[in-house]
Amino acid sequence: MELEHSFTVPVPMDRAWDVLLDVERVAPCMPGATLDSVDGDEIRGRIKVKVGPINMTYAGTARFIEKDAEAGVVTLEASGKETKGAGTASASVRSVLTSRGNETQVSVQTTLNVTGKPAQFGRGVMNEVGGRLIGIFAANLATVLAEQQAAPAAAGPGEAGPGEAGPGPGTDGDQRARPIEDLNLPPRALHALQRESIGTLGDLATRTAADLLAIDGIGPASLEDIRSGLAERGLVLGEPAAPQPPSQPAGPAAPVAPAGPAGSADVRAAAHRVEDDAARLFTAAGQGPDAARAAAHQLEDDAINLLQVAGLPVLKRAIPVVVGLLAVGAIALGVRRRRRTRS
Amino acid sequence: MIPAKFDYVKPGSVAEAAQALADGGEDAKVIAGGQSLLPLLRLRLSFPDVLVDVGGIDELRGVTDAGDSLLIGARTTHYQVVHDPLIAEHCGLLAAAAATVADPAVRHRGTLGGSLAHGDPAGDLPAVVLALDGTMVARSARGEREIPAAEFFVDYLTTALAADEILTGVRVPKLGPGWGYRYEKFHRTAQAWAIVGVAALVRRSDGHVAEARIGLTNMGSVPVRASAAEAAAAGVEATAAALTAAARSASDGTQPPSDLHGAPDYRRHLARVLTGRALVAAAGA
Repeated sequence: MELEHSFTVPVPMDRAWDVLLDVERVAPCMPGATLDSVDGDEIRGRIKVKVGPINMTYAGTARFIEKDAEAGVVTLEASGKETKGAGTASASVRSVLTSRGNETQVSVQTTLNVTGKPAQFGRGVMNEVGGRLIGIFAANLATVLAEQQAAPAAAGPGEAGPGEAGPGPGTDGDQRARPIEDLNLPPRALHALQRESIGTLGDLATRTAADLLAIDGIGPASLEDIRSGLAERGLVLGEPAAPQPPSQPAGPAAPVAPAGPAGSADVRAAAHRVEDDAARLFTAAGQGPDAARAAAHQLEDDAINLLQVAGLPVLKRAIPVVVGLLAVGAIALGVRRRRRTRS
Repeated sequence: MIPAKFDYVKPGSVAEAAQALADGGEDAKVIAGGQSLLPLLRLRLSFPDVLVDVGGIDELRGVTDAGDSLLIGARTTHYQVVHDPLIAEHCGLLAAAAATVADPAVRHRGTLGGSLAHGDPAGDLPAVVLALDGTMVARSARGEREIPAAEFFVDYLTTALAADEILTGVRVPKLGPGWGYRYEKFHRTAQAWAIVGVAALVRRSDGHVAEARIGLTNMGSVPVRASAAEAAAAGVEATAAALTAAARSASDGTQPPSDLHGAPDYRRHLARVLTGRALVAAAGA
């Protein structure tokens, strides 16, 4: 679906341009977005979308594919995959800056494509919601750009931030000493952590995701909250000791099944189709030979060592056989000796 | 598919349920009949940490006469709404619309409160309660409050209910004498959601329309009132021609969704035609 938004900000074009390319400042404008890393032009991040009882998290990458300061055109392409499902979302956001004296007109054109279950369920709700998210993004961007003007010039264009968007990340040590209450977790999750005597963010950062999930009361949703809360403070969860399964390469976008779910029967049918698609994708595409080898390796690691587990019982079963062999050997020996004595 | 793991509590009273929701935080979810939530869980589109099953709370069930209004418990099933004598007498529109919801199996398990709290703009009952000027009664550990239907539906599947609030019932004003009603629903198969639905209420006096109220289903991200058509219908002679003419403004200001069942323009057309039919039937013209 195509979306267009346009707004005017009271800053000259060159300053608006600087802000627009500053990912750390632009990313928070997207509701529910978390920035994981910025590596040159490639940006990794996650976006959490909640529509009533439906919640989805997309993880993926974004990159600038066009930066034309002369023409004032910047295009960002983003694509992500559902963390808990097979759905995908991709967007191409093209912003065009036009100088109007001391003001700048910004027009944002977005092409949004959502596939998978969320796109099929709810009769196009996801597109509507996506459109609305982009609308909020554009409005927030306008605010950030306007604040750019309000910020004192003394701070320099690079430093004039959008104000305190969140708790300022102090030093790592400071953050580790902070109590976990700072994360504003739901009471359930908070209590669960306290039961495990996890009191500070530092304690939390020593645990791996698997450790946390093993705690009664911490589900995937809470884990996601903890992760994003830590990320905001520059902390990450502990790394598991075992080798991680290979990260799945971003395969081709899942084909959209032409379904218009109306009634639970249709929804169910759509769900089956999605599962089929996911299975096909997994086997047919995306997984290169390297991934396959790594997966096989994973299997070897996971294979149970039978003798280790069942060594004693196996030996026990061998006892009669061994005793039998010994007996046969003894008789044979005896017979031979008798023959020798006779001859 | 099998739903993601969740905890399950089944409180015996509204107070206990409210406490369970308060303890559960953002990721607790109330389940009543489960006719909308279970498909979401099974499709793994929803991941609540804890489900609070209100199925064991009998105080949430049934219809009470509260003077000039009826108080309908949130857990009253569609089937009960269709067959309740008080509802038939004082707000028949609700019963007529509930009779069109999905299929008999769903109507026996699905509840009025669940349908409203789910906030699906394609659901039949939100637009009906909106046209009836109903009020939602919500309870939490912090207390009780009433929310008018016009403020209750906020967005797709999103209502004004806070995370720790439970919808306990709906207060619907009794319709006096002279009111006629009609729910017109357009869908391709009997149990499907409405592509467009129109709930119309008309009060007649002296062969004229004294007042008209129109609620539209699936004509936006929330159920909406066709205010332009309501104004156009007020005062006109109760004839088919006049009411059909008034219905021409039924789609004004709406932003219907687009999906495989119909483009926005098609839905606007449906809204005008169905509003005409509903007004004519409601006015008995």
